[in-house]
Amino acid sequence: MIDSNEPGSAIREVRLGATRAEGGTREVSYVIGGERGLPFSREEPGRFLVALEVCDDPRFWPQVVRDYVGDLANNPDEWARAAERTYGADLVRLNLTSTKQRGFDAFSEIAATTERVLAATTRPLIIEGSNEPNLDSEVFRRCGEAGEGERLLLGTAEADRYRSVAAAALAYGHAVIAQSPIDINLAKQLNILLQEMGVPQDRIVIDPFTGALGYGFEYSYSVMERIRLAALSGDADLAMPMICASTDTLSVREVREAPPEEEDAMAVAWEFYTAYSAIVAGASIVCVRHPLTVGKLKTALGV
Amino acid sequence: MAMKALDIYKHLPKTNCKKCGYPTCLAFAMKLATGKAEIEACPDLDPETKTLLGGVTRPPVRLVQVGVGERSVPIGEEFVLFRHEKTFYHPPGIMVQVSDAWPEEKVRFVVEEVRDTVVQRVGQDLVLNGIAVRNESGLPDRFAATVTLAGGGSSLPLVLIADNPASFEAALAVAGNYRPLIHAATEENWEELAALAKRYGCPLTVRTPNLPNLAALAGKCADAGAPDLLLDPVPQSLSGFIATATEIRRAAIGRTEPGLGYPIYLDTVPLNETDAALAAGILKYAGIIVAPPLAHASREAALTLRQNIYTDPQKPIQVTPGIYPINDPGPSAPILLTVNFSLTYFTLLGYLEASGIPSYLFIADTEGLSVLTAVAGGKLTETLVAESLKEFNVGDLVDHRLLVIPGYAAPLSGKIEDATGWKVLVGPRDGADLPGYLEAEWKT
Ligand code: B12
Ligand code: SF4
Repeated sequence: MIDSNEPGSAIREVRLGATRAEGGTREVSYVIGGERGLPFSREEPGRFLVALEVCDDPRFWPQVVRDYVGDLANNPDEWARAAERTYGADLVRLNLTSTKQRGFDAFSEIAATTERVLAATTRPLIIEGSNEPNLDSEVFRRCGEAGEGERLLLGTAEADRYRSVAAAALAYGHAVIAQSPIDINLAKQLNILLQEMGVPQDRIVIDPFTGALGYGFEYSYSVMERIRLAALSGDADLAMPMICASTDTLSVREVREAPPEEEDAMAVAWEFYTAYSAIVAGASIVCVRHPLTVGKLKTALGV
Repeated sequence: MAMKALDIYKHLPKTNCKKCGYPTCLAFAMKLATGKAEIEACPDLDPETKTLLGGVTRPPVRLVQVGVGERSVPIGEEFVLFRHEKTFYHPPGIMVQVSDAWPEEKVRFVVEEVRDTVVQRVGQDLVLNGIAVRNESGLPDRFAATVTLAGGGSSLPLVLIADNPASFEAALAVAGNYRPLIHAATEENWEELAALAKRYGCPLTVRTPNLPNLAALAGKCADAGAPDLLLDPVPQSLSGFIATATEIRRAAIGRTEPGLGYPIYLDTVPLNETDAALAAGILKYAGIIVAPPLAHASREAALTLRQNIYTDPQKPIQVTPGIYPINDPGPSAPILLTVNFSLTYFTLLGYLEASGIPSYLFIADTEGLSVLTAVAGGKLTETLVAESLKEFNVGDLVDHRLLVIPGYAAPLSGKIEDATGWKVLVGPRDGADLPGYLEAEWKT
């Protein structure tokens, strides 16, 4: 029932990033997916990636991280470089939070930031574009184009706004994050919509939406397990690797109200328990924001 | 394998005599099939049928109780591999370790902390469950003295971790009446330890790395009169633990190996990565988890994860819909509309009580959904608000007709005004901003 060995029943492999030989400039590229069982159920080494999130406008970023990274918060490229070299992230997720400001129209900055961050890093890159239907098309076009050939992972497609992301991914050869609100049927529907638009299965990564620990995480955990089980029993429209980004984690009460000397520890604990559990439930990529969570996850995954 | 209700029914007397407490043999069979009834309840079965049905209808993971009294920890009696298939019933007991090689002060400090620390979340009290005493000194007297220092089992459940039977003898002389968990019976010492467990009626952990051997060892101890067992597969790594624990639980649920139908024991200490090991144990089937003393952040996160994973996926934790007066409100106090999801209620309650502002929380029945989820899912509607205003006679409480609604329910504001005749004020989205909003905006 669970670990079927049917050829069609493995999680699909998705390639992220492109080396020079592959037409990009990354020093490494990654393949995620390919599993035929539950996480940790076999001797095959799991393919787990830890992404550190950075952003291009720290006003929309958790205070605890801004305090920790200091000046880096004003330089997305330096921040991204430190994510790889200092904090040991497998890859960076660049959030274009500048698009959240009222009346945003600095589209050329989007391309410039993308280029700078690509130049500052050696590993594959995830880009989180705008969250505003009116901006999507231009934002995704600009960052997609700036990263042409690099096989970015672009996000986020949702049921009512997926065309712009998908179009940019198709035009410039990137993969797409497909997010649905904690529901296996909605996840499947969105994957079908994306495929109907021409996005191949091996360029889709499912984001089942991760509620913060203590604030809905249990639903996310179970929906991830269900998606993984459905995939292993042969549902090709759910057989994509999963990404987990619990974006509300650092604004929960426990973190917000922690005494100053304990802020970092609380932020890291909250992110760590969520991300590690998401991996146990089937996530291939976990995204975190506090730099110290990265190393802790990498160590734990090696034990 | 587990038996279906109809297959069980075939073996019953089919007289529908009701002596089992169920109206028909079939009804009894259905309860047995889900592990909710005991085969012993039917007096009219021959011993062979009883053994046959007993084997297939007992809960696939045996219920074991560690400790006695209010803080005792029941574990096991689980029925599924994944929580979405039904639910997980018995959260793992987290036992904080102390060593008999530590200074007394340190032991005392840890024991008091475990005893007195309560994390309150959504109306539940979350606690670390007990103390694991390790016989690092190797000395029976020291071990017994530290067990005494840890309360002897009378206040907090204990795990007794040692190698030599003499140490267990000494510790059980102190704590034996309080059902401490003995760790561990091995291939070498199981006869002595099973005898001790039997003598004191204590639960016993069996420990050996390979699953067939573990099952066989469990079988031997059970036959020797120690039926309340836990399994320690001696994991060498975290991923190894997850893989092995999954195999054990799968064998138990599938009833393919009776010797594996017991709760699992996990000692996080040799694995080093305490937080990851705690999470792995909570997620993947541990019944008892031994951990070093935890920093505050780890403790909160681990207890929260455990609460999340052991919440019934079919029923969010809810509060009863109705009117909840806060800070002695009078007729001019604001009426604050919200939902009956416990998390929402307790979050708001915290902010409102701290503010000292008198108000009435007006909780509508959204079937346990949060504000945003209820709005998105069509569970919070103007009709519901209008009906609930009537049902709870909200109009009689106050001398105004103003209703403050959550910021996330803003799209409903016009419709609520039309359906209720009350004037709607849209409050902030974040509950933390509600007191500030009321200070600034609330005047009647
Ligand atoms: C867990 C969760 C679920 C769980 C439900 C859990 C539950 N018991 O409610 C499940 C998986 C069932 C679920 C289902 C759905 N969900 Co949902 N879910 C969440 C999640 C992750 C957390 C919700 C939560 O627990 N919040 C915490 C509580 C405390 O928040 P709250 O009730 O809103 O209370 C706060 C404020 O509203 C305010 N407040 C409360 N009362 C009052 C009163 C006053 C007067 C004031 C001023 C303020 C105030 O204070 C509180 C603290 O700040 C959110 C994402 C998120 N970050 O919110 C998505 C989310 C709410 N869900 C979403 C959706 C779309 C859905 C579905 C429609 C999807 C589907 N499957 O069809 C369904 C709908 C439900 C249904 N079946 O009908 C979307 C909503 C999109 C939108 N903006 O409308 C969200 C935002 C996720 C997303 N980004 O896509 N969901
Ligand atoms: S006691 Fe036995 S015979 Fe009587 S109704 Fe119950 S199952 Fe049937």
